[in-house]
Amino acid sequence: MKISQDFTFRTSIRSTAVALAVLAATTPALAGSGQPGHGHGDMPKQGHMMEGMKMGGHGAPGHHGAMAAIGEPGKAADVTRTIDITMQDNFYEPEEITVQAGETVRFRITNKGTLLHEFGLGTAAMHAAHQKQMMVMMEHGMIEADRINPEKMKMDHGDGHMMKHDDPNSILLEPGKSGEIIWKFTKPTALEFACNIPGHYESGMMGPVRIK
Amino acid sequence: MRRLILAALAAVLLAPATARAGTYDLTIGKAAIDVAGKDQTAMTINGAVPGPVLRFKEGEDLVINVTNTLGEDTSIHWHGLILPYRQDGVPGISFPGIKPGETFTYRFPAQQAGTYWYHSHSGMQEAIGMYGALVIEPKTREPFRYDREYVVVLSDWHPDDSPHEILSNLKMSADYYNYQQRTLSTFVDDARKMGFGPALADRMAWGDMRMMPSDIADVSGFVLLMNGKNPDQNWTGLFKPGERIRLRFVNAAAMTFFDVRIPGLKMTVVQADGNNVRPVPVDEFRIAVAETYDVIVRPTEDKAYTIFAESMARTGHARGTLTPEMGRTAAIPSARPKQFLTMADMGMAHGDMAGMDHGSMKMEGGHMMPDGSMMKGMDHSMMGHGAMAPKSKDDPFYAPGSGLMPKAAEGGKFLSYADLKAFKPLYPDRPAARVIEVRLTGNMERYVWSINDVKYSDAEPIKLKFGERVRFKFINETMMTHPMHLHGMWQILDNGSGKNNPAKHTISIAPGTTVEADIEADAEGQWAFHCHLMYHMASGMFRKVVVERETAEIAR
Amino acid sequence: MTHSNKIFAAAILAAAHLLPASEAGAADMDDAIYWHVQAEQLEYRAGDGTDVVAWDANAWIGNDDHRLAFKSEGENPVGKRLEKAELQFLYRRPVSTFFDVNAGIRHDLRPDPDRTYGVIGIQGLAKQFVETDANLFLSETGDLSARLEAEVDWRLTQRLILQPTTEINVAFSEDRRTHSGAGINTIEAGLRLKYEIRREFAPYVGLHYERKVGATANFARDDGEDTDSLRFVAGVSFWF
Repeated sequence: MKISQDFTFRTSIRSTAVALAVLAATTPALAGSGQPGHGHGDMPKQGHMMEGMKMGGHGAPGHHGAMAAIGEPGKAADVTRTIDITMQDNFYEPEEITVQAGETVRFRITNKGTLLHEFGLGTAAMHAAHQKQMMVMMEHGMIEADRINPEKMKMDHGDGHMMKHDDPNSILLEPGKSGEIIWKFTKPTALEFACNIPGHYESGMMGPVRIK
Repeated sequence: MRRLILAALAAVLLAPATARAGTYDLTIGKAAIDVAGKDQTAMTINGAVPGPVLRFKEGEDLVINVTNTLGEDTSIHWHGLILPYRQDGVPGISFPGIKPGETFTYRFPAQQAGTYWYHSHSGMQEAIGMYGALVIEPKTREPFRYDREYVVVLSDWHPDDSPHEILSNLKMSADYYNYQQRTLSTFVDDARKMGFGPALADRMAWGDMRMMPSDIADVSGFVLLMNGKNPDQNWTGLFKPGERIRLRFVNAAAMTFFDVRIPGLKMTVVQADGNNVRPVPVDEFRIAVAETYDVIVRPTEDKAYTIFAESMARTGHARGTLTPEMGRTAAIPSARPKQFLTMADMGMAHGDMAGMDHGSMKMEGGHMMPDGSMMKGMDHSMMGHGAMAPKSKDDPFYAPGSGLMPKAAEGGKFLSYADLKAFKPLYPDRPAARVIEVRLTGNMERYVWSINDVKYSDAEPIKLKFGERVRFKFINETMMTHPMHLHGMWQILDNGSGKNNPAKHTISIAPGTTVEADIEADAEGQWAFHCHLMYHMASGMFRKVVVERETAEIAR
Repeated sequence: MTHSNKIFAAAILAAAHLLPASEAGAADMDDAIYWHVQAEQLEYRAGDGTDVVAWDANAWIGNDDHRLAFKSEGENPVGKRLEKAELQFLYRRPVSTFFDVNAGIRHDLRPDPDRTYGVIGIQGLAKQFVETDANLFLSETGDLSARLEAEVDWRLTQRLILQPTTEINVAFSEDRRTHSGAGINTIEAGLRLKYEIRREFAPYVGLHYERKVGATANFARDDGEDTDSLRFVAGVSFWF
């Protein structure tokens, strides 16, 4: 469980290149989480961060709450299937995904568009909440239309809270970048994969994950 | 999914064959419409107001036969379309007009996609019904998805006076239609609010200018229409909960700016003036006369929603309903309080009224720097609250303190021009070779509107060299908002987005502001350029723009 | 620009009742010709002395830059002979944002003997929305006189208007035959309460005060007339 989480973080960092690397280097907690087998207190350390920024809502992702219902981060060893996802401006190919309950899927995601995109797994309500957070990140310049702003991303936002984008069920990709998410779908739920960058979900950059 | 494809296929097959062929026959005539409790004669296109939605496919030829059955000349202008100038439909500039009994065939390739519209450019026929929407479907996939779409044409109809009577009344008495004037009782109210002295000083300040803070719309008494229906007739569009609906808003009104919202639904603006923009989720947007905005909404609940389009002057509203089944309606919001102009709208945002008179109101209110530095300027008051203090919510395209400052009715986000970022820029960014000053001027009292203090019939054309990029610097020296429309070429609005500055066919310039836009002069010929408020255009706020090849100069 | 031709054409068109709604397209619409006829006062005055029917009317035709104007005012004591009747035919053009110049001819049918004057004047909206009209008149006998008129509409409600007016007539020389002395010769003041049923039609009631001063007052006394009068008025103002 811990390992797979670390793995997800690592891929996030790699895929979003400099941006999150800088973030990781300047955030001791995340830097820890980026190095497997090192500093396992990774989730609690985020207490000083704006918890609302997490796609899973309150609490540590993958541990409890809403996140449990949507499945959990998967182990690379358990992957039985790989699904390729292409991000375009502003839509995904394919537009819907079908998986089996209990299946661990590797999503190989490539941003072929010219804008920054997200691939996140969650319920409609989780996405709606996350859209508000992404809007704040956009307003604060942490993310721009076509890139992550590493300087702004690492800034203190005035009240001792940090914001970041580092959930295991979500990945943020700059144009031309690619990345992976490994996810174990535990039980049939109404899930969506979606890009929560302001306006993208609403434009139709979302689709159902059908769990059979 | 398969069912969806089949449904789409069926829709295509059931659509009139002519639609796909790119050919339409339009007949201009007169017909009765009833939007004010009685039958009144409108000028119509194919017998209805608005005229039919014309649908084309990008790349195909548009072939439109327009037959004039009126007793006077007519014309159709294709608003926002890039085309050879002789097809542009402006009598006296692109062609001689269409004589009574004559059929004129327009023919040109559809070089673009998006939501546009068409209207008469003869006399003031447009104000009495001659308009309709025009949709060009793109060759490639759009950057958004929707399950169904509706065209929403907003317009205004004057039940009492003909356009000629309106203009004549305004020439006789510029405040003819203003029933929000300052009175003894508004003075008493003001004195209560701000004290007797300041209230009197404010009165005197406006009296010195001989202007009225309530003069937002020039003309009142309109019935406001949505797809040709008044608020009681309630235009209705159906949906299934969970569907994404594309609403193609067109403002075909003669004089009315609308503030549009759908209580309970977020709207995502995906297109402005036919060009895709990076999606902006908003709660409300203002649509200037002649603009178009495409928004996507996704009602998930099984209930009806009101499309509420309130006039900027708060004199009335157009209304329609989105509903899962016919007959269901939603609450109609109550009107917001009347809006009044402030000294900021008079170009006096800086508080010092001393020594100001009408002739010197030339301050540049909301000047946008090319690098968007105005935004930074606007943050000054926020500094010291941490580097990440939120930006001011004020729209930088209005004079600070403007009485017209947009504010979402139910809170939330109101679209600003500053939010419009071209999805895919039409032109590579390059500096303009020169700046042409376009001062928007007028004499309210005489009801004469002009550009650079000269009205159209006394003016020389603006000459552009083919292939050059010029910058129009609009300086609004009047107290009115002017939606400036250039035919044949895009106006690339400088909103600080650099290469993603949005291309628009109509740019609305608020009182007391300066706005800049670049024009790539890539369309040879002569073109109309004017304020799209009917009675401003008709009283002189109009220019001919001539785009010539330099070789033509040498040959001469 | 052939402005004189245009205005001439305007006059002819008007005479022929052929004023068309513009059909020319946007092209020359801003140069269209308009016309209006207005009776600012058409009223019955009762009080001191004989009751009087009085009028103050005007009309104009033209485009934004050139207009032909007609003005008339007069008084007819009830049951008596017309006492005052004045006609003016003017060419009018704008000289500033809010002001026009008028130039033309004034002809007084009454008082006897009739007189013809050359007129030059300025008319427009002064600060605080004061409508002003100032004219110089040079009569056929070489007498120079001036008239200053001012009025303002104070809106009590959107339709109820309190309208103070004032008029001062000054002569720079005496014209015995018209009983007009040198110096300020008449002062008029009015206060009318109008109700705009429509912009074009407003009945009203009010007061009208008129006072002859100086030599003109002496002429009046010699004729056995009052030198001042205060009357109630009731009337309508309208335009079309």
